Amino acid sequence: MLKVKNLTKRYDKILAVNKVSFEINSGEIGVLIGPNGAGKSTTIKSIAGLLRFDGEITIDGKPNKSIEAKRVFGYVPETPALYESLSVWDHLEFIARAYGLQDWTGTAETLLARFDMDDKKNKVGKDLSKGMQQKVSICCALLIKPRMVMFDEPMIGLDPKAIKELKEMFFELKNSGCAVLISTHILDSIADVWDKALIMNKGEIVFNSTRDEMASKGESLEHVFFSKTEGEEEAQ
Amino acid sequence: MSSMLFIMRKTLKNHIKEVFKKPVLLIGYLFIVLFVITMFIASFAMPSGLVRHGSNVLYTGIITIVFIFMYYTTLKLGIEKGSTYFRMADVNLTFTAPIKPNNILLYGFIKQLGGTLIFLFVALCQIPNLKNNFDMKPYGTWMILLATVFYALSYPLISMIMYSWVAKKSGRKKILKRALDTLALLTAGLVLLSLFRTRNVVGTIDNVFNNPIARYFPVIGWTSSIANASVKGFTTEFWVGIFGMMFLILATVIGLYRANLDYYEDVLEGTEFFEAARKAKREGKNLTFGLKVRDSVKQKLSGTGASALFFKHLLELRKTSYVLFFDRSSVSVIIAAIMFRLAMPKGVQEISLSMVLFFALYMLLLLQMQGRLGTELEKHYVFLIPASPYQKLFFATLAEHIKNLFDGIFLFMMSGILFKAQLINVLGCIIAYTLSGAVYTYSDILTRRLFGRIHSKGLLLFVKVLVNILIIIPGGVAAVIVMMITENELFMICALAGWSFVLAVTLFMFSAGILNNLETAS
Repeated sequence: MLKVKNLTKRYDKILAVNKVSFEINSGEIGVLIGPNGAGKSTTIKSIAGLLRFDGEITIDGKPNKSIEAKRVFGYVPETPALYESLSVWDHLEFIARAYGLQDWTGTAETLLARFDMDDKKNKVGKDLSKGMQQKVSICCALLIKPRMVMFDEPMIGLDPKAIKELKEMFFELKNSGCAVLISTHILDSIADVWDKALIMNKGEIVFNSTRDEMASKGESLEHVFFSKTEGEEEAQ
Repeated sequence: MSSMLFIMRKTLKNHIKEVFKKPVLLIGYLFIVLFVITMFIASFAMPSGLVRHGSNVLYTGIITIVFIFMYYTTLKLGIEKGSTYFRMADVNLTFTAPIKPNNILLYGFIKQLGGTLIFLFVALCQIPNLKNNFDMKPYGTWMILLATVFYALSYPLISMIMYSWVAKKSGRKKILKRALDTLALLTAGLVLLSLFRTRNVVGTIDNVFNNPIARYFPVIGWTSSIANASVKGFTTEFWVGIFGMMFLILATVIGLYRANLDYYEDVLEGTEFFEAARKAKREGKNLTFGLKVRDSVKQKLSGTGASALFFKHLLELRKTSYVLFFDRSSVSVIIAAIMFRLAMPKGVQEISLSMVLFFALYMLLLLQMQGRLGTELEKHYVFLIPASPYQKLFFATLAEHIKNLFDGIFLFMMSGILFKAQLINVLGCIIAYTLSGAVYTYSDILTRRLFGRIHSKGLLLFVKVLVNILIIIPGGVAAVIVMMITENELFMICALAGWSFVLAVTLFMFSAGILNNLETAS
């Protein structure tokens, strides 16, 4: 579903992402993990079509910046930003219009209810807390029933119930055949959800493996993470 | 495009609804609307040349210099950060949606049309002053507003094109910035050279800004020519300006609309910068926002208890100043006050210093309203320091007073030499300036204490300015009366300084309570 081939991104003289390649298949949850400044957000932003890059990114076989690709992917940014004067419901209506969705209101109601936001439909963006903004941001990304969805540090600011709900949603998305890519630096938050782990360090993918492959070798994600990013001594 | 129109329609509708729901906000807006209407009527109705009949050459010079400054600063920032019509919500929600980038750009451009209202408001505030001093045509006000609209529409477009060009290859940014700097230096050099030769300000302006190259120079010359029609009438240069700007804006919009655009990255950095600037403005910190911090400044922190605040502020001031305490606000106050005096008629030589003082205080009022203590009150440290509120307030504001003293010394020493004033008057002005600065500082704190819960920071700023004007006016009036009775400038300055001292001490006593807890400050 998502194919990234030789993705390279340079800011002036800084090489933020260097020849990164990976794939996330339909019905698979991939996690992009790495220390601060590893290049995770740059990778996600490149996939979302917000940055220029060298290399090739396709979503459902289409170039990621094409209108066709945009129709099928959802994106939850690292920092939620909503329109200050638009209500929660207005945001969802805007998404429905922008993506040309039909019969979306039922889905919108369900999503809001799951995040305890159904009584805040008429609240405007600037009156929402950061956590609530994050919830709206997630609802907007999921309203389109994406075939591929990216989450950039999705748990930050969420309350425990919302985190639990979101984790359940990850599994529902996976079961519906959606490809999910989650970027985070908090390993515990994704410990029980991932199928494929991609560890980034200094702009490169230093580890790419599935849960089954790691299980067969008896490796733990935390150990591999520290050995790949800090060296074997630190991992011990 | 319908989804983009939906955002604009809903935003406007919800904003109007919100204003009607909050009475304080509504009153604030009514005040602003009333103020704008008054300015609008005054701008159109008042006759021209009430104070004097300044020459058209001086007028065109001022207009051209203002546009050179505005284009230079905004384009330079545009090259550095990328100019943007967008907010982060647009980036996160529309840039990733299946909408053509060209349509999103068009939406941004339509939004910018609304943004021009702010520029128009600023321009409107300057018109009465211009009308007082120059013979403007009956349609003069319209011409200034028209030029302002062209400026507000053109600079983001030019910035965006420039940024797109520099973003494609490293090294281009430096080339373009150097080109802009060279043009600015060349202009400044020409002014200085001509000033040296003619020793005449008006003659210099005539030489440099009233020649065909300047008048027909793309963008800056065109915009200035449109504004200059307010005194010169509809000359050839006006028509060249109008058609030039129209062509430029249309061609850029059409070009961008038709092009295979990939500008999201270009506006991303600019949008992030713009969001941060907006946040700083909301918090009343726009004076210190974006200042470069000089790592080379080394100074050990000292002091214990409340005095530690003072040494921290000193270090912060030095790190964000060009030299010692000389920063952007010092430059603004000094240049504006001296220029103001130079632009005044020659028959007021004996009160030159007071004119500089009054204008400097007006500038300081606008600048110090976004003072450093506001930033301190946003954090918890000041409330936790184990010292009395009086001690903490004293030390937390001491650096500000020292900065004002430093600026005052520089400003009035220069003015004293320039306008051949007596040393005792220079000293009086320095003291009056520093004490009035203290009044602004403490009234700012007291206003926060009394009206801190006002929802809108913009409205709070408006209230602060109003309060300051009201409390400083009696001192100003007393000073003028003293001048009329004694006909001695020094006595006038002393009267103002005396009033400021009484006010500063009183305000200090009443405002110290703000440091009792975080709630009284928010």
